[in-house]
Amino acid sequence: MGRFVRMSLLGVLIAAGLCLWAWLGYVAIDWAGSATFELGWGATLGQAAAAIVFLQLLFVMILATLLMVAERKWSAAIQDRIGPNRARLPGLSRFSLGGIPHVLADALKMISKEDFVPAKANRLLFQLAPVANLLPILCLFAIVPMGPPVPVRHAFGVLFASLQIANPDAGLLYLFAIASLAVYGVALAGWASGNKLALLGGVRAASQMVAYEVALGLGLVGMMMTTGTLRLDAMIQSQSAGLFGTSWFPAWGLFVQPVGFLLFFAAAFAETKRTPFDLPEGESEIIGYFLEYSGMKFGMFMMAEFVEIITLSGVVTAVFLGGWHLSPVLDDALASAAASLVAWRFAGPPDPGAAALTLAVFQAALFAVKVIVLCWLQLAIRWTFPRFRYDQVQALGWRFLLPLGLVNVFATGLCLLLDSSLGLLGALGLAEIALVVGATLWSSSRPAALPVAAAGGH
Amino acid sequence: MPDPSSPKPPEKAPSPAPPALVNLVIDGRPVQAKPGTNLIEAANQVGIDIPFFCYHRRLSIAANCRMCLVEVSNAPKLVPACQTLVSEGLKVTTGSPRVLESHRSVEQMLLYNHPVDCAICDQAGECKLQDYYMEFDHRPYQPAQPRVLRQKRKPIGPFVMLDQERCVLCTRCVRFMREIAQQPQLGVFARGNHEYIDTFPGQPLDSKYAGNTIDLCPVGALLSRDFRFRARAFFLSTTPSICAGCARGCNTFVDHYDGVAYRYRPRENDAVNQAWMCDDGRLTRRRLVEDRLTRPLVGRAGSRVQGRSLAEALSAAAARLKPLSGQAGLAALVSPQLSVEDLLAVCLLAREGLGLSALYEGGLADGDEDALLIRADKNPNRLGLRWVARGFGLALRPFESLLGDVSAGRVTALYAAGVEVPKEPQVVAAALGPIGLLVIQAVRHGPLADAADISLPAAPHSEYDGTFVNFEGRPQRFQRAYPEWDEARPHWRLAEALLRELGFAWRWPSARELFAELSPRVPELASFDWNDLGPGGRREPGVAARPAAADARPPGYRERAVAQPGQGKQAGGSRG
Amino acid sequence: MADEPKPRAIAAYRAPESRPENLAEYSYVPEALRGLAVSTGHFLRNLLFSRDPSPDVIHRRGPNQVTTVQYPEEIAPYPPGYRSMHRLVPRPDGKPRCVACYLCATICPAQCIYIEAGEYEGDPIEKYPKRFEIDELRCIVCGFCVEACPKDAIRMDTGTHTKPTYDRPAIIYGIDRLLKGPAVSHQTDVWFKRETSAPPEEAHAHPIPRSPGDEPPG
Repeated sequence: MGRFVRMSLLGVLIAAGLCLWAWLGYVAIDWAGSATFELGWGATLGQAAAAIVFLQLLFVMILATLLMVAERKWSAAIQDRIGPNRARLPGLSRFSLGGIPHVLADALKMISKEDFVPAKANRLLFQLAPVANLLPILCLFAIVPMGPPVPVRHAFGVLFASLQIANPDAGLLYLFAIASLAVYGVALAGWASGNKLALLGGVRAASQMVAYEVALGLGLVGMMMTTGTLRLDAMIQSQSAGLFGTSWFPAWGLFVQPVGFLLFFAAAFAETKRTPFDLPEGESEIIGYFLEYSGMKFGMFMMAEFVEIITLSGVVTAVFLGGWHLSPVLDDALASAAASLVAWRFAGPPDPGAAALTLAVFQAALFAVKVIVLCWLQLAIRWTFPRFRYDQVQALGWRFLLPLGLVNVFATGLCLLLDSSLGLLGALGLAEIALVVGATLWSSSRPAALPVAAAGGH
Repeated sequence: MPDPSSPKPPEKAPSPAPPALVNLVIDGRPVQAKPGTNLIEAANQVGIDIPFFCYHRRLSIAANCRMCLVEVSNAPKLVPACQTLVSEGLKVTTGSPRVLESHRSVEQMLLYNHPVDCAICDQAGECKLQDYYMEFDHRPYQPAQPRVLRQKRKPIGPFVMLDQERCVLCTRCVRFMREIAQQPQLGVFARGNHEYIDTFPGQPLDSKYAGNTIDLCPVGALLSRDFRFRARAFFLSTTPSICAGCARGCNTFVDHYDGVAYRYRPRENDAVNQAWMCDDGRLTRRRLVEDRLTRPLVGRAGSRVQGRSLAEALSAAAARLKPLSGQAGLAALVSPQLSVEDLLAVCLLAREGLGLSALYEGGLADGDEDALLIRADKNPNRLGLRWVARGFGLALRPFESLLGDVSAGRVTALYAAGVEVPKEPQVVAAALGPIGLLVIQAVRHGPLADAADISLPAAPHSEYDGTFVNFEGRPQRFQRAYPEWDEARPHWRLAEALLRELGFAWRWPSARELFAELSPRVPELASFDWNDLGPGGRREPGVAARPAAADARPPGYRERAVAQPGQGKQAGGSRG
Repeated sequence: MADEPKPRAIAAYRAPESRPENLAEYSYVPEALRGLAVSTGHFLRNLLFSRDPSPDVIHRRGPNQVTTVQYPEEIAPYPPGYRSMHRLVPRPDGKPRCVACYLCATICPAQCIYIEAGEYEGDPIEKYPKRFEIDELRCIVCGFCVEACPKDAIRMDTGTHTKPTYDRPAIIYGIDRLLKGPAVSHQTDVWFKRETSAPPEEAHAHPIPRSPGDEPPG
């Protein structure tokens, strides 16, 4: 049980670390915003700059790096292995530290490897492609709100500090627009390599992108109709209410739009080009669009993949999992806990500003935890399912997800027309979830039809 | 082919009246045999093997091993096939259960006192007791009482090691020594279960023909001290060859493995050596492996240039010989140890390349002689040398005159093909000291090789195809058993290379082409068919000459064995 | 059924039919969730619980299902009958049982055994290996040498395997490194029957002449 205790402690430590990160983030964003405001450049500049540092560099990049090791360690756990544990830090050679030193080893390896450009490659495009792939994906995270806006009183007035880089009105449309750009990097890499197999990978990526772009949009249309907004923070706000008039059942997108969730999640998963949608890579057949890449350029492709996972998790958390909300009653409990913590810590008159900041820190950490759980889910999916055949990928996109999305849009519209309080929509969503869960339990209770389906244990 | 007076084999003596053939049936097969033939030989005519230990075609019949018992139609009991002569209408059965049970019983009886130490027995692999056990007995060996212990490992002579425990008392050795060698040095002692073969007290088995008892012994009782523990019989490949020990030219098999000759065995040739050879001839196999010169030596012993390849040495030799060509001081020494093909090429070199009109005749000094095989002339090809020299119009001068000519200053440069000389090599080397240029072709290291300015490595006769002419004027072919060691080459190949370096265009792919081109100059060779390999001299595909597969083993073992430092082919004779 | 099954094109391999059985399976989602549940189960068990470090993987217990053996910290025990590195079996007096019969070198399919025979003076067994070398790099561990040996002189029971090395000559094992382990004796061994194979003194009453150049083998 020692390992159980250690893992629990590790979870607490991670949560505490996330809280610390969120608190520092709020403070820094507010400080930078007020500083630029006082310089007369407007608060947004400083806030965005600080948010970029705290969200992109300290959260996304670090999490993506850790996910590289986590993918290997978690897949090992899924497959009853140990995973990488041989790289050690100097002076700590007795501790494998969960494989974290492999991050350094990998980075060292990628940096020190030969930066190879094939003779027949288009040099400019070949060098450009990894950047063209990674950059739009990094930009995607700009609209993900990781924490609620917190009003901070300054001498010149009140500034709202928020763990969000940008909050355009276009919101999700920005998401669609930028996400489509990422395919240029992949297609360029495939074409510029001067390699038939790499080109095949690029072409596959492009056509897969086209097929799933539609489902991606249709999956979110339901939530746009339900919440009546494109802005992610507004969507989160609208999910804070209770469903069916209760205060304990949250009106998360997952519950009112399960089909939309499925559509969006599947389509976005296809956009990340990971198993079971890893046809553009297809390492057992064509190696894929990054066939000719080595060193840090290949590392950028890999980094883009993991950043995309995090972005996808962030968007799904914001749109379908209630963002930083649990349910109204739990939100209230969290708020009162934050207030009493502040009261206990700063024994004095109640400070609404400090209480709001503490709550926001807790909620931002909650958001990060949801993101991490979703990252784990994506990794688990990648290590559970075999790769589709390419015709199956296209058939799934065009013949299953697209009609389903259309039906979902019309059904959502009908429900909203009949009952604008989401009650009917929630009932429909819960019925759909119950159907899937029931079917799962039913099929689990039946003996396996084929020997190959008899998974479970060794 | 000239075939003058040779010892006539008794079997081939022509009878005045051709005898009528006797008809009999062996295992249902009709056989026609001469009267007086025994059943083993008669059965052999139709390919039926009757097992035996004590029988030998060239020895008297003892019929004491009882292994060859067969059923015949005119006797109620089994009869020994070696002793029973063919008779008209006889029906012989060799494979009946009764006969097989008899074979098995004999085998079992012989094994009662046999130590079954095949693991350390050199005969294992060519042992009749082993073969017949696998064929007829093949059941677990469970002695009812302890074996009778006798003497193992008794060196009874300079060449022979006796193990009385392994002996099956066939008395072939006793009969050979009495009848063929006519030196009855072996006898059977004691009685019954305690019988054993031994020498007489105070008299070792020191006959010159003692080695033949080793070949005759069907088991591992008599073994060669020269071959002892050096190689396993089942590793050896066999190539027909000719003994180079004396002018008799006994037909031999050279048994070799991994490019090393391990022993000679006599090859049957009724016209020359019947089935025997002498111990001195057997020991000449050491000349094939000991002190071999495998790389050229350039420069005399004190000022030797290291690391010259054969091609460089040949160029150097030709460059120094060329200005002397046709000069008065140049002479050539030719050894009768060389084959006819060597001599053809060497004489061509001496005549046309060096412009000589006479040769000095080398060769080992005369030794002892006897009536059976051993000749006084210890060189295998003296007659061939005389034939070829005469054919090329070269006079032959005795070796003694060479030393005189050197000391008188009439010979200032010498080319020697083969360095076998009738005097002590140290003495000869010292006498040749004042010579200005000494180029030799030698098989082995020695004082002459050290004294020479350029020593070219020559191959012994086990490493190339050639011909020896024995003292009767009988050309006999020998075959290449294994590839030349390192850079050693046949004498004729070296002479050919020297000729080319001197500007001639002679080029022969093999000894066959050389012989075809040059032998017309020698009238005595006109009737000799070079492709006639002699009795038993068949070329076995894949056995003789292919470097890697010569022993049907892949190259790995060979490479490894050679790669041992200090254990290369120089020390090949001691590889075990 | 009236209609016969249609003849199919003959192919070297045909994938088995695995059509979805029902709508739930056809819709993929329940099956996908079941698969995820399996993965998650393994993940949680292996994440949260300690690994039984027993090197015997088959007998590991506990909820953690990891089967890795952390070589070289953990070394899995070899199964009985495992053909490990050779040893030359000693006699009770410490000499090798081997009599240099070359049967192992003969049977060896990898040609990795090199033997040079020598002769003991005054030992009931006359022959012994002066050199017995196994090129462990070349050895394919087939065990034929053990099968072929008539004297039980070579065994593969050391329970170890060849140590890795950077030095090729160092992996050619000679008698000094091969001769080890417990001595072995059998009732049929020659030294139970006789003290020596040397002939009695009276057999040498006459001097045996040496043959020319007759040195001991080697």
